Amino acid sequence: MLPVPELIPEHKLLSESEAKKVAAKFNARLEDFPKILSSDPQAVKLGAEPGQLIEIKRNDDGNKYLYYRYVVKG
Amino acid sequence: MKAEAINDIRFTVLSPERIRKMSVAKLIVPDAYNEDGYPIDGGLIDQRLGVIEPGLRCKTCGGRAKSCPGHFGHIELVRPVVHPAYAKTIYMLLQSTCNSCHRALMSESAIKELRPVIETMTIDESDEVLKAVEGQAQKADKGAESAAHAGLQQNGNGVSMNQSMVISASMPAIKRLKSVKICPHCKAQQAKIKFEKPTRFMVGNETLRPDDVRDWLSKIPDDDLMLFGIDPKATRPEWFIITALLVPPVNVRPSITLESGERSEDDLTHKLVDIMRVNRKLEQDIDAGAPQIIIDDQWELLQYHVTSYFDNETAGIPVSRHRSGRPLKTLAQRLKGKEGRLRYNLSGKRVNFSARSVITPDPRLSVNSVGIPIDIAKGMSVPMYVTKWNIDELKEWMQRTEYPMIVNVISKEGVRKRITETNRAELLASVEPGVILERQLIDGDIALFNRQPTLHRVSIMAHIVKVVPDKTIRINPSIAHPYGADFDGDEMNIHIPQSLEAQAEARYLMQPKLLFMSAKDSSPISSLSEEQVMGVYLLTLDSTELSREETMELLSYVGITDMPEPLKNGKYSGKSIFSMLLPVDYSTEQKAGRDNIVVIKNGKLKSGVVNHSAVGGHGFMIMEIFDRYGPDYTEAFLTRSINLALKYTYMRGITISVRDFYITDEMRKEREKLIETVKSNAEVVMKNYKDGKLEAQPGYTVKETYKMLLLAELDSARDLAVSIVNKHFNYTNNLFLMSEVHVRGDIRTIVQTSLLLGQQNVRADRPTRGYSGRAIPYIAKNDDAPESKGFIKDSFFDGLEPTELYLHAMGARASMQSKSLITAVSGYLMRRLINAMQDFYVEKDMSVRGAGGALLQTIYGGDGIDPMMAGAAAAAKKRK
Repeated sequence: MLPVPELIPEHKLLSESEAKKVAAKFNARLEDFPKILSSDPQAVKLGAEPGQLIEIKRNDDGNKYLYYRYVVKG
Repeated sequence: MKAEAINDIRFTVLSPERIRKMSVAKLIVPDAYNEDGYPIDGGLIDQRLGVIEPGLRCKTCGGRAKSCPGHFGHIELVRPVVHPAYAKTIYMLLQSTCNSCHRALMSESAIKELRPVIETMTIDESDEVLKAVEGQAQKADKGAESAAHAGLQQNGNGVSMNQSMVISASMPAIKRLKSVKICPHCKAQQAKIKFEKPTRFMVGNETLRPDDVRDWLSKIPDDDLMLFGIDPKATRPEWFIITALLVPPVNVRPSITLESGERSEDDLTHKLVDIMRVNRKLEQDIDAGAPQIIIDDQWELLQYHVTSYFDNETAGIPVSRHRSGRPLKTLAQRLKGKEGRLRYNLSGKRVNFSARSVITPDPRLSVNSVGIPIDIAKGMSVPMYVTKWNIDELKEWMQRTEYPMIVNVISKEGVRKRITETNRAELLASVEPGVILERQLIDGDIALFNRQPTLHRVSIMAHIVKVVPDKTIRINPSIAHPYGADFDGDEMNIHIPQSLEAQAEARYLMQPKLLFMSAKDSSPISSLSEEQVMGVYLLTLDSTELSREETMELLSYVGITDMPEPLKNGKYSGKSIFSMLLPVDYSTEQKAGRDNIVVIKNGKLKSGVVNHSAVGGHGFMIMEIFDRYGPDYTEAFLTRSINLALKYTYMRGITISVRDFYITDEMRKEREKLIETVKSNAEVVMKNYKDGKLEAQPGYTVKETYKMLLLAELDSARDLAVSIVNKHFNYTNNLFLMSEVHVRGDIRTIVQTSLLLGQQNVRADRPTRGYSGRAIPYIAKNDDAPESKGFIKDSFFDGLEPTELYLHAMGARASMQSKSLITAVSGYLMRRLINAMQDFYVEKDMSVRGAGGALLQTIYGGDGIDPMMAGAAAAAKKRK
């Protein structure tokens, strides 16, 4: 099935310093974040490398919040 | 003692030498006692094996019954037998080694390649290593991994195999060895080995006797064993053949002395006697030079007894029985299954300070309390800590000789003593600050209350104890809902928290009044139902006016001693009576059902009827009161409104009678007309389909469309009949009243009992299966008429035609089946989800964390809202 672009929330690749800030905010290591495969279409599109953090702007039923995923090999 | 971490555990097989070394006694007499009833030396309860009777001393360690742990003995088998649990491994070894030189049937070069892989292999990397080995063997066998798992399971029953044994033996390269025809070492031709379960091995038609097998296995070189995952330093395969049988100490198989003085031996002892008898007979036969056939017979019998000694449910051999015909419980039976050592004794937990009884309803109890039967209260204790402030009071308590009294005194040293008439004075003198007294359970104590299955948080809550007479645990019927309990014989458990910490935790975190809002959708976990809703409804009707006496009776019943404002005629309106339950500053205006707006100003019900929408399942009034006035007021409001409603229901009275089911001739006519309309509409659909005029709906075939339209047409009969009931029935019909006020039954049940049952469905379709072209033989083949396929035009009240009854039963059966299947499947799904998520928690920053601090959600639920604490407004929003 073809992806439906408007249904995919906005993904953004974070720089190393941004990622560190986010990790500090949640008092967690990068590996503690939910994972995303580097082969995931969104990761491929952003050119994400394993070890980087992707920020996802989610919008559930009008509730807007940020979600993060740690890129892993795969 | 210093604690050390365990690095690894190795399971190995005992060698005959090892068994002889462990043994404290070689057993030779196949019996337990002599004529004098004294244990025989060298018999099965030889006193060197330990003592279990008080007074005697162990001949090995000199300990008494309490201190002697028991010692192993052994039996020398005259002829060896196969250990049944290792038969499979033996078979694998016989197949994979040469029958002449006993080397592994693998070329030297192949062994050389495989050795480093196997030697570095561990179970953790099973996946990757297995793949590597597969590659090395140049034969991709996809079954290897599952075979490894199967191997683990097969051997998980009692006898454990070395883990690497399982892995390497399930490797394709090793598995292939059994098909090698010529030994790569000595070039000998390999005969096919057969294995007859449970313990017989054959070469061609020749039986391989256990001693032959032992010789064979003992000649397999140490270096080759590694290939099969056997560490030769720990285990030699010839030990899989039993030469010396280890006999467990008497502590493991105690004998029981019956009241009559008769001794009864343990099943294991019986089995060991059997083994020794055959062993002795075999020895005598051999010594007497009996023919080989006789010896083989005895030998086989010995093998049978040893096999059933390990597992009396071994497939392929008869079950060994006690004299009474009861199957013997041998080693495997002791461990296996629900009543086995593992599940019953090791995993099975039992708790103190708990009780269980049948529950019965008692609306006069608060939803927050629980009625504990006096007999249970007497048997439960709660610790009281003696301090200098309460010592005088507690000493007075100590004098009590009937409930509620102090039952135990725990001294400062921690010694618990039960108070008796003889030691009371002495113990009383020993009471000083620091001593702990245990008293019986009394009103106001806290008890954890639980009903299984404990599916969610509100399946265990802390209730305030109220001691009641008789034997059943009493609860307010309205609190049965979160537990999923009813009163048809349900039993529930109570636990009495002992430490002050546990009591405090229960009081501040676990009471129903504190958990009052459901974590699911912010609805109250407890509310008014059935005749309680009827009560408030009738009470708050505009027309309800009560006399002064009635008003006083009602209000005093719920503990209210004030009177509401009387009406001009000196009577009291039901609304004003209900208002007495409301907080004085409570104001609200809510739509509650059709044509009904509840208006409350400053604690006075101005207009509207209080009904299901206000105080039932998702009732706004309960939620608003919880929101604004908190747990304590809500508890009081709920308990009072329940009792006020019940009292009024009983005062006024409400019932149903057969008359409520009658339909008028006019309704009958309307029903006939309705059936005609539905049938003709259905015929139109059928005709269109036959004429090919029906157009397929998007995503469906013409036939599917036809079925859907027809079913929709027939299904509509019931809905159309609802309007007939609505038109002709009014609130003078109590059945109709109950359904309208959401007390019990809905309008469709009235339709089904009084008008017509309508279309019956089997798996969302008309009943068709059974006979070819028809559901029951009474119907003509391929008859597609509505009546032939489950359209029932009669009502329960009129009675069904025989065909109708059958078609109705088909639908009922199908829906019942799917219901029970769905509950089982979804229940298990729920269990797995709970199990996977049980240790998730919400961190202070509102993020959700899992095991090891893994971040699962950046903000709980995407909005950070706790449904339980969200309040009525959020609840309403969420439900939308």
